[in-house]
Amino acid sequence: MSAVKINRRDFIKIAAVGAASLASVQIVQRAQANEAVPAGGRKWAMVIDQSKCTGCGYCTLTCRAHNDISPDISWNVVTKTGMVGGKDIYVARPCMQCAHAPCVDVCPVRASTYRPDGIVVMDYDRCIGCRYCEVACPYGARSFNWKEFDGPNPSVPEWGEPEIPRRPRGVVEKCSFCYQRIDRGLALGQIPGIDPDATPACVVACPVGARQFGDLNDPESNVSKTLRERVSYRLRDDLGTAPHVYYLPAEEARS
Amino acid sequence: MKKIPLPKFTPWMAWVGGLSIFIVAGAVAGGLVFWKGLSLTNLTDLVPWGLWITLDLSSIAMSAGAFSLCAVVYLLGLKRFQAVARTATFVGLIGYSMAVLTLMLDIGRPDRFWHSLVFWNKHSLLWEVTMCVTLYLSVLLLECLPIFAGFDWLRGRWPRLAEKMSRAHHYAPVLAIAGLALSMLHQSSLGALYGVLKARPLWYRPDISILFIISAIAGGTALTVFASMLSARLTRRANVDDAALERVAFLIGCVLVVYLYFRFWDALAMTYTYEPGRTEGLNLLTGGQLSFNFWVVELFLGIVVPMALLLNRRTRLLPFWRMLALVLVVCGVAAYRWDTNLSGLLVVLSYFPGEPAVAYTAYHPSLIETLTAAGILSFGLLSFSLGVRYLKVVDHRALQTRHQRIKEPVKVPVPSGD
Repeated sequence: MSAVKINRRDFIKIAAVGAASLASVQIVQRAQANEAVPAGGRKWAMVIDQSKCTGCGYCTLTCRAHNDISPDISWNVVTKTGMVGGKDIYVARPCMQCAHAPCVDVCPVRASTYRPDGIVVMDYDRCIGCRYCEVACPYGARSFNWKEFDGPNPSVPEWGEPEIPRRPRGVVEKCSFCYQRIDRGLALGQIPGIDPDATPACVVACPVGARQFGDLNDPESNVSKTLRERVSYRLRDDLGTAPHVYYLPAEEARS
Repeated sequence: MKKIPLPKFTPWMAWVGGLSIFIVAGAVAGGLVFWKGLSLTNLTDLVPWGLWITLDLSSIAMSAGAFSLCAVVYLLGLKRFQAVARTATFVGLIGYSMAVLTLMLDIGRPDRFWHSLVFWNKHSLLWEVTMCVTLYLSVLLLECLPIFAGFDWLRGRWPRLAEKMSRAHHYAPVLAIAGLALSMLHQSSLGALYGVLKARPLWYRPDISILFIISAIAGGTALTVFASMLSARLTRRANVDDAALERVAFLIGCVLVVYLYFRFWDALAMTYTYEPGRTEGLNLLTGGQLSFNFWVVELFLGIVVPMALLLNRRTRLLPFWRMLALVLVVCGVAAYRWDTNLSGLLVVLSYFPGEPAVAYTAYHPSLIETLTAAGILSFGLLSFSLGVRYLKVVDHRALQTRHQRIKEPVKVPVPSGD
């Protein structure tokens, strides 16, 4: 007779315990993975009010200056989409900073990643320029550097001074929610969305105040309040990309 | 008295000379691309992938004969196709080399090509394809070692090395399994690469990956058989086992039936209801600027005609009709890759609220793109021609005798610590 004998009942018990512990490990790991934004962390969002936007394009030009973008490329595109109450309506489109970004999924080298605060960032030193992210983005928010951007930036200094290095030829680039301004501002104790120096340049530049920026995890932030009070929507919400850019639709009464 | 004969102008020299002109032109154009960047192409942010990705996908598809036939030979044990598999492996190696060359042109930062091997993104199909292609290229190189060992110059210069290289043949079954796994993965992943993109409604379907591997098996095997038959007709250095090729041609006909069935339902099921972007993409194929490609090159000439020619015994037995059918299959598969890429990219779906508006864009490859593609194609043709001439890649008799010679010592049990 052998020292250890396991009958069928014991075997099932052991198997069940083993499976349960494995599953619990999996669940814990999943839960940790889901917590992209740590509890109490920030989640940046932008709210764009279409009843206020006049389509002046200041945001695009300011963005070009602050991020040193070539005149061939727009990180922020403003398009006329229709009329409400006799007034032209525009869609201003920065990068949506999706919570489920197709570009992050498809990048073969992990050059596009999520920051804990929800911003989708590009590593321009890692990008190989395959342009798969460009094909995958439903918002056309990504641009490829087809040629070298050398020479002066026509938007500088009229619209601002460059804050980040120029991207080389052959990589894809996109809007970054001006995280360089956010990070610098936070280090100085400023509040992004309130203090202009800590807020994305397009939000600061908007002459009609159509853009708001702030922390979605803070119920008292300006964006949280606005989104509670007003009806909002996100672009191509049906795709499940969960953008961090919200739009307040133009209504006749407000325009 | 011996007179030094002037080099006679032979068709071979004309062939090599002509291809070399294209290769040089392609190399110059490629150099310009590396120097000046991708602004020399007609690619845009709306159509970021064009002729090069088509050449890339097609040359990988044309290499599928290698894994298909190696699987038939080493896993199903149908040894009579061994010689054809040898040709297919060489064609595969050329195809993947062409794909790597094209990719180096197509990516914006060729100096960072190794990044995907170091910075893994396991979610990315392009990452998976890159890994598989790199690994499979190594498998193909190992599989081709015995072929290179047959190079007379090498055997004369370094006989021991040649002997070692030819011994790689004994690992053929293992390599066939590795090749099968890697190829099944990435041939279909190349389709899934398009199929996972939710932003492009025409592509967003799982069928694309199935169609990519079925069409690759048909196209890759067809190219191998066609190249073998053509070589055998043009030079005495190539001789074929026509009975085996005829059987393979019949199998290609059968694969075409499956391909047509899936393609038919894949395209037909999409017409059912209107879906923004998807319906427009399908319209591009059925009635728009890609319609000639779709109906004539891809479906009629690429599938229906060769299917009939290859399944009908009388036409299959006639070399002319068989070769015509095979070359049509190859063109049809390349046309499928071209159509798949452009039908998704030419339709621009808006992201505005309400019903998404749809616009069309256009793409025609630039001269530089065409020259580089022609250069890479010529590189492939020249490599195969040199292979036929110096490595006897299409030599079904020599293989049998050589294998018998090599097989002899294997029968004696030897210690395995080699």
